[in-house]
Amino acid sequence: MKIIDSDVHYNYRRLPDLLPWLERAHHDFVLYSGFGGYSVPNFPWMKESGFSRSDAVPSTGGPPGSDLETLKAQHLDAFDIEYAILNGDEILNVSAIPNPHIAAALAAAHNGWLIDEWLPQDSRLKGSITVAPQEAELAAKEIRRAGNHRDIVQVLMPTGAPAGYGDPRYHPIYEAAVEIGLPVAIHVGADGCGVNPPPSAVGYPTYYPEWHALLPTVGWTHVVSLICNGVFEKYRDLRFHVLECGTAWLPAVLWRLDAEWKANRTEIPWVSRLPSETVRERMRFTTQPLEEPGTGRHLTQVLETIEGFESMLMFASDYPHHDFEGPEQILRRLPGDWREAVAHENARSAYGLKAGAAEAEPAGASS
Amino acid sequence: MSSEDRIAQVSLQLTTVPPGTSTSIEAFGTTIAVFNVSGKLFAISNRCPHRGGPLCKGLVSGAHLPSEPFEYRYGLDDQVVTCPWHGWQFNLETGETLFDSRKRLRVYEARVEDEMIVLSDPLRSRTRKGALAV
Repeated sequence: MKIIDSDVHYNYRRLPDLLPWLERAHHDFVLYSGFGGYSVPNFPWMKESGFSRSDAVPSTGGPPGSDLETLKAQHLDAFDIEYAILNGDEILNVSAIPNPHIAAALAAAHNGWLIDEWLPQDSRLKGSITVAPQEAELAAKEIRRAGNHRDIVQVLMPTGAPAGYGDPRYHPIYEAAVEIGLPVAIHVGADGCGVNPPPSAVGYPTYYPEWHALLPTVGWTHVVSLICNGVFEKYRDLRFHVLECGTAWLPAVLWRLDAEWKANRTEIPWVSRLPSETVRERMRFTTQPLEEPGTGRHLTQVLETIEGFESMLMFASDYPHHDFEGPEQILRRLPGDWREAVAHENARSAYGLKAGAAEAEPAGASS
Repeated sequence: MSSEDRIAQVSLQLTTVPPGTSTSIEAFGTTIAVFNVSGKLFAISNRCPHRGGPLCKGLVSGAHLPSEPFEYRYGLDDQVVTCPWHGWQFNLETGETLFDSRKRLRVYEARVEDEMIVLSDPLRSRTRKGALAV
């Protein structure tokens, strides 16, 4: 079975690796600020064994995800991945940085590094450009600058934000993405970090498992915000992906949204149809971390309540993070007649990937 | 079928439903909500199809019509009743919900004759005769 992995993480060894792509104006900030150099705000919740698989540390040093040869041997080749969508790692905390100008510059440098150093190396690699949503006009400018590259298939921003992503302040991002023809994705990251609000409505979780269990809630808050603010009515061609936010919550949220729309639509008259219909048509979700009920069939029973979910779900491994899930782990837990769609068909359509194109593309080609 | 079920018309005193008020009446084997909106009469099924709320107790006003994002377009003034229980809204003229015109309440004819409100069921009045004063 062909496999397209919609969430593979790559990382720099050290932040100064980005200097060749970073505006000179910000070099000193990276090299000398803080205690001997800048650190992107990190999660305050720590996992003792680390956020990544300890077996994914490259033999050449550096953090997991920083070495292409390790990534190829351990993941792309091992699972015969047809395409991998590369999403940043530490850069996903970019939305936690107070200074929006530095945040935008770091995101742009990361994108330049991705386009120059990663994507040309292997035709199986496709990339998401990261944007810092703090200043949406800067994010839009970056989408127009870097989004046209042939191997860029998505605009990515972290879930951590001071407002739901339906808020008008973020609309320039969607306008630019639609203009360039890219889907916009959110991925868990920067929730409760730096200048971002707590990841729960009652404040900061105390423990890592507490935060991790609540991980989907910020994602679904954004889904509801996008619907209620009429983003999909305003941007008729916008497609939106929700990465690493889980899945089993979706039926309950859609049931609630549909009921609210029927009863309370008068305050959001621009929402033109049942929210579940809009979500089905315009949004896609990734598998990992797929919920793990004690009785396996309960998961499919829940997911099957979402009409057409088999065409909305895309396989994602989250390599090389600690909660990585390989294709077999995911697909065997889904209904048999969903597997081809989830393994590759849905992602192929969402990212505009051609069957067999990976082999045919000359490495290093770019538009 | 009771004798009342066969009645094609019922009537009630106009003074029992002054302008700006509403009431309900048992007729045609069901409960009908009757609204007097500034002298204009509306009669619809009283039972909200969502959870059974009494529509005769609902607020009569207008509604925000479908619009572009972040625009409010008020319309159907005095022509919309909002169910007091969960908020489903219905067009008093057509009985349609505002979110799906395929979902609609039964609408009854209401007219004034000799200081009486006369209600008739369009479906019944085609085939049956008879009247009942309440």
